[in-house]
Amino acid sequence: MMSFLMMLWKRLGYLLPWRRRAAEQEIADEIRSIAAMAQPGELGSLTLAAEDARTELGWTRLEQTGQDLRYAARAARKSPGFTVAAVASLAIGIGVNAALFSLINTMLWKSLPIRDPETLLVIGRQTQTGLSNRFTYGNYETFRDHVSALTVAGYGTVPLNVAIDGRIEPTLQGHLVSGGYFPLMGLAPAAGRLLGPDDDRVPSGHAVAVLSYDYWRRRFGADPAVVGRAISISGHPFTIVGVSPAEFFGAEVGSSPQFFLPIMMQPVVMPMTADLIARDTNVTSLWIRVLARVKADGSIPRATAQLDALEGSPETEWRLRDKFTGQLEQARLVVGSAATGLSDLRRQFSQPLFLLLGIAVIVLLIACANVGNLVLARAAARRAEFALRLALGAGRGRLVRQVIAESLVLAVPAGVAALAFAYWTAYTLIGYAAIGRDAIVLDVWPDWRVLAFTAIVSAAAGLMLGCVPAIHASRADRSVASLDLARARAVGHAPGPGRALVVLQMALSLVLLVGAGLFVRSLQNLNRHDADVDQRRVIVVRIEPRGSGNRHAPGMATALDQTYRSLITQVEALPGVRSASFARSSPLGQTGFGYQIFRPAAAQAELLTGSIVYPRYFATMGMPILAGRDFNEEDLRTGSPSAVIVNEAFVRTVIGGASPLGTGHGVSEGGGRGAPRRPMNIVGVVKDSRFPALREAARPIVYQTFLQARTGFGGMTLHVRMSELREATVQQIRAAVQAVQPDVPMFQLHSLAEEVDAALVRERLVATLSGVFGLVALVLICVGLYGLMAFAVARRTAEIGVRVALGATPSDIRGLMARQAIGVLLIGLGIGVPAAWIAGRLASAQLSPLLFGLTPADPISFAMATVLLALVTFAAGVVPALRAARIDPIIALRHE
Amino acid sequence: MEPLYGVLDLLVLRTLVFGPLHGYAIATAIRNSSGEALNIEFGSLYPALKRLELKGWISAKWETSERNRPARVYRLTAAGRKRLRQETSEWSDFVRAVGRVLKSPDPEVGQ
Repeated sequence: MMSFLMMLWKRLGYLLPWRRRAAEQEIADEIRSIAAMAQPGELGSLTLAAEDARTELGWTRLEQTGQDLRYAARAARKSPGFTVAAVASLAIGIGVNAALFSLINTMLWKSLPIRDPETLLVIGRQTQTGLSNRFTYGNYETFRDHVSALTVAGYGTVPLNVAIDGRIEPTLQGHLVSGGYFPLMGLAPAAGRLLGPDDDRVPSGHAVAVLSYDYWRRRFGADPAVVGRAISISGHPFTIVGVSPAEFFGAEVGSSPQFFLPIMMQPVVMPMTADLIARDTNVTSLWIRVLARVKADGSIPRATAQLDALEGSPETEWRLRDKFTGQLEQARLVVGSAATGLSDLRRQFSQPLFLLLGIAVIVLLIACANVGNLVLARAAARRAEFALRLALGAGRGRLVRQVIAESLVLAVPAGVAALAFAYWTAYTLIGYAAIGRDAIVLDVWPDWRVLAFTAIVSAAAGLMLGCVPAIHASRADRSVASLDLARARAVGHAPGPGRALVVLQMALSLVLLVGAGLFVRSLQNLNRHDADVDQRRVIVVRIEPRGSGNRHAPGMATALDQTYRSLITQVEALPGVRSASFARSSPLGQTGFGYQIFRPAAAQAELLTGSIVYPRYFATMGMPILAGRDFNEEDLRTGSPSAVIVNEAFVRTVIGGASPLGTGHGVSEGGGRGAPRRPMNIVGVVKDSRFPALREAARPIVYQTFLQARTGFGGMTLHVRMSELREATVQQIRAAVQAVQPDVPMFQLHSLAEEVDAALVRERLVATLSGVFGLVALVLICVGLYGLMAFAVARRTAEIGVRVALGATPSDIRGLMARQAIGVLLIGLGIGVPAAWIAGRLASAQLSPLLFGLTPADPISFAMATVLLALVTFAAGVVPALRAARIDPIIALRHE
Repeated sequence: MEPLYGVLDLLVLRTLVFGPLHGYAIATAIRNSSGEALNIEFGSLYPALKRLELKGWISAKWETSERNRPARVYRLTAAGRKRLRQETSEWSDFVRAVGRVLKSPDPEVGQ
């Protein structure tokens, strides 16, 4: 082993030209000295000995490989059309794989850019419904003060209203961080300083801000003088004290806060909500995530034990109480690794991405089969060349190596092009996934994992498509007879491997098309309900005016009600607005509040979903009123008689057969803690909305007016329906909302279509990508089949000539060629249909969350895929068949 | 008779056990000690010397020959000595094994 390494080392040295020259000079000197000692002719040819000794200095095997590669590159240059087609299809095939892989890599496997990411922990609450990372601020303090084995830090993500030089910036995002946050991450500032424990002492007393590097660069041109500058957040003066390091975007993968602020500033930054950091058990907002590291003298088992010991004691109880029953929730604390960060994206996208990667592999296989076919056709044309080289004494091994080298010459540039393509594709996909929500920031610049993956996939693709022609080449006939070019072209290549490849492509494409059909039809099913409203013309924006977090405060409810009503009047006066209204819930966001009912003669209360709406909400959202009426001005007045509107689901499940309007149905509403029951006065029934749970059956909902509803939060969502889509009107709506309270953060304004798109992003992503993959597969099939057919026609020209000469009609000839194409199609379908069915069965666990209203065995998807393939077969087969039918027997016979 | 592949290395190493020699001396030493039975082409011997040198089993230095001429003289290194012991024992095993096969009674050819 040592000696082998030594030899390798010395040979490496001889790669340096001067070393090599010196060594060769020495050999020459030595040979001369030996010649002087020996008898003339005694030692044979000294020149040959020296020559052989010189090769010992070099890399014979490698040099041969280099020769193969050079030859292959020359061959590739000689047929540019073939080379471009092959490299491009491989690049697309490899590129989609690399793109999906790099997304998966970024989202799942990349470590956070912090000190010792592998020891960063996150505390989570495990409930019956799942694992959550959100806690109240009080919970965080409990962990900080009572778990001595851990150093903990907390942060929450909030929208910010920032004014720089008196101008309000578009909505920004901030992380409110505890004093231990940056020390826990172990980061150094890019400028100024970061936040520390000294910024975490007095509530509302630390008006300092740290910028994210990205925002610093984009907004301030990376000006170091920005440190010490004054800005305004929610109308309160803040001083910029530093900039966070370049790669750092917080602990959440995909999010990108522009600001880091002390958590103590929460009441100042968020005037709309209650004081969330006060020592008050009534605060139940779950908005803090808790990160941790084990202290030097601690351990994970000790930390877990200490966390388990928190519950039960009034001092450290962290579990939440149910608002109506007062019962503690069933939950348990768990500690997990945060080395790769936290992410909602991960939960949402990891499964679809792996599924898409699986589909991308099929695309690559199809592309390989296609290029393999081209290589094969070329190899067949080069039979004579191979035979000649064999006859001249080339080893078969050398010939096979040559063919493999030619495949690699295609695969390597394809891999490089694929990397660029993948980078672009990954960014496009991220942009697509971010429609209707905050920007997703993911760094998909290829790291070593992506490079290794691309290299391996390219090499595998190269070897795969080199294999078939290599075997072919090794069987080349050495006999001189096969040097006859014409014969070499005509003899002995039954359509075998080429045809098998096209059949394989057919089968794979069918699997792919069935998948695409399933996803596209699911998406259609999900979107079907909305013929009545043009979702692009409905604008949705949530507003939370100052104090809306606590509307029980004296006079607050009436003030908020006034604000909302005047805003409706203002917006409805804008040109192009058909109607405007407020609702407690946004179509796909928050779902409202708990509404307690008692069925007739029932002692036990039931909890339904309540919502607050203003008049004309149903008209704005295109929800027809089936019975009774909408709310009116009368219902809005303080002290007006109770009136509620319910949906169909309520009538169906709660009232049953009785007439819903009025109070005759006997259902009464409860008032929460101790308030008396009173009969529900139903004034209207509306059609079920498909919002917010697009995939589920509608649940019973009770709608109330703002002043009659009993809920602590006063934030509402403005809904505007426009008669036509006008950007100017959208801007006016934005300005009107902002003008309500200029210093309060404004939430992003979306169209309903964007909201629906955001809610269905997984489904759209999968449907679109699998659809595009399906199209690519169809194009590849077209090319492959056309090639096969054209080749068959060329090969059988003489035979067809004879047939025509003997009286075959053009339609006979067309039939002859059509039979060949149909044969390939039928075998492809015969393999593909069962394969797609089996694949659907095997992947049903992965598929079912993405399918809606159909099963993996959906007959329509199978039928559509089959018809598409048949059409493509026909299209690809038509031209060669027509050409065959036009063959002139005289020319054909001369062809031989 | 051409030596088996790899045996050439063994012969060169063995020849150098008795002391440093230049290329021509190695060639004649092998020829003489085998009683001229092994006819080793210099064309094979010389590249073998280079290979052994690259592997670090022998080392070479320019010295003055007995006839007062410059000559490149090869000597065994420690690694080469170890290699020689190893190859010698492997070779003996090989010869013994082949010998046993050849001595086994063969009914068809007969003794």
